[in-house]
Amino acid sequence: MKIPSLLVLFTGSLFLFACNSAPKQLPILGSREPVEKIVNGKTVIDTVYQTIPAFSFMNQDSAIINNDSLKNSIYVADFFFTSCPSICPIMSKNLLTVYEKFKDNQEVRFLSHTIDPKHDTIPVLKKYADKLGVKGTQWSFLLGSKDSVYLLAKDGYMSYSKQNDSIPGGYEHSGYFLLVDKDKRIRGAYDGTDKNQVAQMSKDMDILLTEYHKK
Amino acid sequence: MRKIIILISFLAITFTVFFSACVNEDSIKYQRYYSDGLQMYKDHCQSCHMDDGNGLASLIPPLSDTTYLKTNRKMLACYIVYGLSNTITINGKQYDGKMPAEKHLASIDLAKILTYITNSFGNKQGIFDVKEIEKNLIDCSRDTVKVVI
Repeated sequence: MKIPSLLVLFTGSLFLFACNSAPKQLPILGSREPVEKIVNGKTVIDTVYQTIPAFSFMNQDSAIINNDSLKNSIYVADFFFTSCPSICPIMSKNLLTVYEKFKDNQEVRFLSHTIDPKHDTIPVLKKYADKLGVKGTQWSFLLGSKDSVYLLAKDGYMSYSKQNDSIPGGYEHSGYFLLVDKDKRIRGAYDGTDKNQVAQMSKDMDILLTEYHKK
Repeated sequence: MRKIIILISFLAITFTVFFSACVNEDSIKYQRYYSDGLQMYKDHCQSCHMDDGNGLASLIPPLSDTTYLKTNRKMLACYIVYGLSNTITINGKQYDGKMPAEKHLASIDLAKILTYITNSFGNKQGIFDVKEIEKNLIDCSRDTVKVVI
């Protein structure tokens, strides 16, 4: 009588271990659509995932950052402006901890898009980066035309940002960090003002990196 | 002789009771200001100066420079109401960012916020009274806001 129950326990724990050791993968967010492809003469259905549309912006060192310069990195994108009195400082502070963790890891990049291009010129962005303690090109503060940035936020990152003179600072935007993989697919969205969610993002970035290292 | 002793001890007791009542009232007021101040700090200050009062790198100064807060005690209400754009030195480090004005805050709110700030993050300055705030605001609106470093 005792032996079968032990066996059940043993098998059960085996299953449990199996579940735990299964490689965790991040979901692919955004819209997706099936496409028919012909492979070796057979019609197969493949899924096309939403990707970040091509862009080209200038960073704090006047270097052009575009899809091509990011092809070997996963990256975190967010939207901010330097004179922001509301959620940006805490977002910068939280992102700074993630930046410190992945410092000098060329597979990890950070993109902060300003949504106030009128005020946040290259020298202003440069000063902001310096004062935040950001060196080199790993974390880029990007300047682009207002329309292109807002459109990228909306269509690319499913985030939003717009001018609103009735709130402090004059611009409103979501406080999300978007985690993007090397294939430009969104793999995670985290509330940048929430320490716990940012810690989760940091862990998820490790998971995402192992995805590429196994290949 | 006995009567005198009784009288003295009666007076002493009465005095102590009155005195302790006063002290309690003050400390209750202080505690009320402090806890209200914490709430208001969260609403109006925390997103930049952070929950630990440490600010952000070299962009936003910390609120832990006790000497600065003491020397500039009279100006603190004005800094909040009118904002700050001068370069200031906090803990030996220069900060030249702009602090936005919070013109909508009432004197009582300023008193509570400042009571909280000047008794947290390593500061211990005691209560900020509404009358003190009102006087500070009148004084600094007469002069232009100057920064004492």
